[in-house]
Amino acid sequence: MAFQNFRNSQKSMRRLYDAIAYVIVACMLVFALGPLVWTALTSIKPESDIVTNEMQYIPTHPTTEHYVKLWNRSGVTTMFRNSAFTTTLTVVLCLLVGTFAAYSISRYRFRGRGGILTFYLTIRMFPAVLMLLPLYIMLRNIGLLDSLLGLALTYTTFSMPVSLLMLKGFFDAVPADLEDAARIDGCTRLGALFRVVMPLARSGIAATAVLIAVGAWNEFLFALMLTNSESSRTWPVVLQLMVGEFQLPWGLIAAGGMISIVPIIIFFAFAQKALVRGLMVGAVKG
Amino acid sequence: MLQNALPPDSQSSQTLPAARKGRSLNPLTWLGELSESRYWAYLLLLPSLLLVVAVIVYPVFYGVYLSFQQFNLLRAGLGMKFVGLQQYTELFADDDFWVIIKNTFVWVFGGAFSQFFLGLVVALALNRKNLKGGPLARVLLLLPWVIPSVVAGHMWALLLDSRLGVINDILVKLGILTSYRAWFADSNTAMPAVLLVDMWRGTPFFTLLLYAGLQSIPEELYEAAEVDGASGWAKFRAITIPMLTPVIVAAVILRVIGLVNSPDLMIVLTNGGPGLATFTLSLYAFQIAYENFNFGAAAAVSVIMLLILMVFTTLYLKFSGVTKNT
Repeated sequence: MAFQNFRNSQKSMRRLYDAIAYVIVACMLVFALGPLVWTALTSIKPESDIVTNEMQYIPTHPTTEHYVKLWNRSGVTTMFRNSAFTTTLTVVLCLLVGTFAAYSISRYRFRGRGGILTFYLTIRMFPAVLMLLPLYIMLRNIGLLDSLLGLALTYTTFSMPVSLLMLKGFFDAVPADLEDAARIDGCTRLGALFRVVMPLARSGIAATAVLIAVGAWNEFLFALMLTNSESSRTWPVVLQLMVGEFQLPWGLIAAGGMISIVPIIIFFAFAQKALVRGLMVGAVKG
Repeated sequence: MLQNALPPDSQSSQTLPAARKGRSLNPLTWLGELSESRYWAYLLLLPSLLLVVAVIVYPVFYGVYLSFQQFNLLRAGLGMKFVGLQQYTELFADDDFWVIIKNTFVWVFGGAFSQFFLGLVVALALNRKNLKGGPLARVLLLLPWVIPSVVAGHMWALLLDSRLGVINDILVKLGILTSYRAWFADSNTAMPAVLLVDMWRGTPFFTLLLYAGLQSIPEELYEAAEVDGASGWAKFRAITIPMLTPVIVAAVILRVIGLVNSPDLMIVLTNGGPGLATFTLSLYAFQIAYENFNFGAAAAVSVIMLLILMVFTTLYLKFSGVTKNT
């Protein structure tokens, strides 16, 4: 009897905890998604419905005017092209450099291997601002200041350590036997890397690419400091400067925000699982 | 490599130059052959090492060197002049600097604690077995983490706006506030408001890591404790927290580094104001560099940030005891 009571009380306790868990997750979802939803709603309200005395929760006159206006603004398409170009270049460079380094650390046992890995992981402690100033001077001296290439090289370096860790994990999972077989058939090591290892690790490489792309697409501080002409500004900088200069109406800001996070959400939807794994590898091993 | 080491006899001494030439004509073949050499492991690492040295290591040393110089980019004609610790002594003599240090501590520890705590609560909730919709919730909860800081800043500026902010409206309708508030313009609420925005962006990071950490704790440990009649709280203290410690330490360190280093939200939301209420070291360094182009002083501020981080990381690792086991 006592045992039965104990079981029952345990069961009700469990149910109580479950209920609490649901409440916590629900509250957190509202907190996490609320701002996004509100921004989306604001971006389709006409300005007169945003600036009102009575808060309007559901848009009564949905409109795309802010998106159209923003898109036609001079410089906006350039900044998008700039961001897209910088992001693509960063992904390509970082994957190339990262793949080589990750393959080396995954397949070879050599002196200094552990040291290099630790070194790559500790470098992210250095304050960005501290590196910004010398980078500014260096890039100016070699003529890459205010260039998308200079920006992409910087992003490549900052994303490289985490990409390396992710890629190493994916390469570790490719059996070395397959590579040996290819080499017996006359493939060189380099050939085996491109023809055997990389195709087998392609989903992992794609996830790494997404992670690099999100980082490069979002970056603000370096882009603000290392570029100064319209031809090389990326969109987070332009968005921020437009708001500061023109006291941009809220509708436009909201639309600008929405446009800029659409690529990220698409990326995210595509590679959500691998991305989570990548973030974790990067964080835990760091 | 091996072929080259062979003693050249009369025949091959004639064919070797030709073969060499053929090799250099086709870079891919040449690379392929190189990949069979024993230097290949190092050669593969070379590009990444070059980048890291050029973009991170050299700038860091150069930055430390700059902090001992008088160097203003707007007056570059004056060049650099070694001034020893003058940049530092000038900082220490400045009252504003100490206010900024205090703000930085509030910002970093307030941010890290609140985000860790909330992240832990959410991770524990997500970790309950047979939670319906768990996988979808995990993805959606992670979204704020990938939203760029500039967009996050503007979103929240709109939400907390003093005239049009929906949060003001909700709080007034619920009767919590009597009138709208200018959250970012009031020196009492500016820092908490920026911390709230960073909590939105930073909590998912903790949730993700702590959830993964919770998932990796073997179920048998809890079952064994239950046989011994351990209560929920006892299990949490004796199993969950110790097993989670390495993840907690790693997550806290990474988040603290992020909080110390990035002035993004302040640049978008408050620019340090009102007064000095939300001025942190990273914003200070950034402003001295970006607006005054006084690189010497900005470098000194960043070196102080680096020192704070190094001291914090060392002490934290020591007192959390994670380094003992690994």
